[in-house]
Amino acid sequence: MISRVADHCFWFGRYLERAEATSRMLAASMSLALDAELPPSLVWRPVVVVSGEESRFLSRIAAGDDDHPAWGDGEIVQRFMVWDEDSGVSLARSIQGMRWNARSIREVLSHEAWEAVNELHLWMLGDLAPVSYAQHREAFYQHVRRSTQLTLGLLRSTMLHDEPLDFVWLGVLLERVNQTARMLDVHHHAFTQMSRRHEVVETALWLSLLRGLSGSEAYLKRAAGRISSEGVARFLVSEPAFPRSIAYCVHSAYSRLCDIRPPDSHDLPGGVSLERLRVLDTWVAARRTEPLAGAGVHDLLTHVVDEVHEICETLARELLGAAPAAVTTPARRAPDTVDRP
Amino acid sequence: MTQSQSQSQGPLTGLFAGYPALAGTYDEMFAEGATARAPFARVAALLAKLPADELARSQALAETALLHQGVTFSVYGDSRGTEKIFPFCLLPRLVAADDFRRLERGLQQRLRALGMFLDDVYGEQKILAAGVVPPEMVLGAAGYRPLLRGIKPPGGVRIHISGVDLIRDPDGTWRVLEDNLRTPSGVSYVVENRLISKRMFPRVFDAARVHRVDHYPTRLAETLRSVSPTQSAGADGNAVVLTPGPYNSAYFEHSFLARTMGLELVQAPDLFVDGDKVYCRTTRGPRRVDVIYRRTDEAFLDPEAFRPDSVLGVAGLMRAYAAGNVALANAPGNGVADDKAVYPFVPDMIEFYLAEQPILEQVPTYVCLFDEDRAYVLEHLEQMVVKAVDEAGGYGMLMGPQSTAEERDEFRRRIAAEPRRYIAQHRVELSSCPTWIAERGAVEPRRVDLRPYILTSREGPWVLPGGLTRVALARGSYVVNSSQGGGSKDTWVMKDA
Repeated sequence: MISRVADHCFWFGRYLERAEATSRMLAASMSLALDAELPPSLVWRPVVVVSGEESRFLSRIAAGDDDHPAWGDGEIVQRFMVWDEDSGVSLARSIQGMRWNARSIREVLSHEAWEAVNELHLWMLGDLAPVSYAQHREAFYQHVRRSTQLTLGLLRSTMLHDEPLDFVWLGVLLERVNQTARMLDVHHHAFTQMSRRHEVVETALWLSLLRGLSGSEAYLKRAAGRISSEGVARFLVSEPAFPRSIAYCVHSAYSRLCDIRPPDSHDLPGGVSLERLRVLDTWVAARRTEPLAGAGVHDLLTHVVDEVHEICETLARELLGAAPAAVTTPARRAPDTVDRP
Repeated sequence: MTQSQSQSQGPLTGLFAGYPALAGTYDEMFAEGATARAPFARVAALLAKLPADELARSQALAETALLHQGVTFSVYGDSRGTEKIFPFCLLPRLVAADDFRRLERGLQQRLRALGMFLDDVYGEQKILAAGVVPPEMVLGAAGYRPLLRGIKPPGGVRIHISGVDLIRDPDGTWRVLEDNLRTPSGVSYVVENRLISKRMFPRVFDAARVHRVDHYPTRLAETLRSVSPTQSAGADGNAVVLTPGPYNSAYFEHSFLARTMGLELVQAPDLFVDGDKVYCRTTRGPRRVDVIYRRTDEAFLDPEAFRPDSVLGVAGLMRAYAAGNVALANAPGNGVADDKAVYPFVPDMIEFYLAEQPILEQVPTYVCLFDEDRAYVLEHLEQMVVKAVDEAGGYGMLMGPQSTAEERDEFRRRIAAEPRRYIAQHRVELSSCPTWIAERGAVEPRRVDLRPYILTSREGPWVLPGGLTRVALARGSYVVNSSQGGGSKDTWVMKDA
């Protein structure tokens, strides 16, 4: 398939997953803030940090002040995460990016999937979204979440399961690895920073993290109701059957890439990306039997995020046509071409 | 005429009650005395029964559906990338079976002659030697590409896809207004409008017995395959659709055609030329391309050949074309045949190449290059429509009857300075069609034209039984172009009774 089209598929998948993850995380944080009896900045600051937009928030919203009340103001953080046009990760921008990429490959997507994408885009641009945001915040997040989930389902149920869908899914999975790794990292860090450990509060926080990843029910089934810091971390890193765990996503991404570029097809491009993803997959799988606690969690997650970043760069060069071309091409992934730092 | 049909004739009722027919204008649906034209009596009677509020609701639903499906065009100069739907009127434009049969034969004849003209102009130039068309009109046309002389297109076809704009004068005579032989657009709306008609008026549609239009993409794909230079080798040809990209106003159509033909939609940077063969950059390395349905302007096809200053395009594409390794649809250089200055000579071409009488009339045209014609035009400027031969989309025109004295003086100066650039015609009272005007909550006559689409393969021209009816939505307007407030209607070509 055409490299440019593959690139649009990949980024369509990433923005789609990003929009879903962001709406889920914001809804979970809102629910947590209501009854966790936590300092608000412990609820809302991680939301900004997870998104990788800490420095922009600091300069644009918090006037350069690390103790600015905005860090704990749910309304300000949500407005930033939903509507900020300059932030590469706001819902508005993710939906715009998702739709722009989809429109660039309109002929690749099925009619149903395209319509679902386009309707979400028109809803967000029109009068209904701001009204829903102002009056029924929970319903607003739910609308975004359901629309993106509908799109993910329609992609699988109405499109050929071949290369274009493999690239969409590769984008979804690599974005998901990042989302899970960052959310776990930030929360884990916040917990270890808490001055006074309190079992009830801690349980609420871990449950909120799991809810933010649609994983609370799955976790409770695996852990028979016992909630512990190490248990949650291990579940989110290693649980092979949970579709948002790092192990699951990395392994599935590797399988997708094997379909795109079979390991024994040495004459096809993509070999470097494939090998790097294989090594990461093996590495993550091997962590399953090692103890997971303290700074080790942070180091593990940092390694995963860095590797995913490198793999995306290599993919772009090898398969997605990002090699320096003789002709300058117009910006191909408006509005946002920048991967998160 | 059956009993039921004649019964339904009579004074206009229901939706059409009080329909204010335009004086001196042919109405597509209603004859003098406010009766439906005979072939349309049954459909008109069924449409008349639709309550106005239901039509208004259907119209709003149809517009929402178009927006959700992204059947839109991009608005140039809008930084937010706003997309709009092409305004659409649910009330169909009807074409009688007999009328269309004649149009079909006339269009096939015209396309055969135009194809032979292009072969000749880029070959021996016999028609110029014979003095049938003045050489300066052809060789001085902006669309004439001396570079292409002597190059034979793969499959021998040059005008694979054309759209010929037809109008109807007050007598009901069909006339060709212009030929579009480069990259005519609009066919996606023909197919999409039909889907909406069928959804909104299933009963009326069923009763009307209308020719289908949804096989256009299949026929287009066959046409493209038929000119593949590698087809004879038995290999699966690889055709692609080339678009300037999502910012182009017709991007929806490019994407629509690629999708409905199952072909890949590519942009110029996806293609490269090596050893005079064209390849596509894919995730599995280069893949050969042998037919390109290009929706880019030919000036931006190949920077080596046409526009050295352009960074757009595929370097070396014209070398590959000249070598016969890739078919381009449409062929570059076609602009010389749909030039407004060459248009007045198409009937002469038909006689010259085919030794036949032209089946279709066209609009009598004054060629300002000719002294006699120019004198007449300058004398009657107030009654004439003057057109610059190298402008399109309704631009560069003087509408004499609506013009101011300054505008006429300006055109007098321009015609005197460059007579070859101008032609003039008397204004034709375009025919009208009942059109739903939402803000007035009523059906009123609005002026229309018709663009049928003709596909030419190795086997010759084929006419889609349908077409894009463009309608000037503003009251009193004659300008149907979508860039200037025009809308569209579904065109129902009736089957034989």
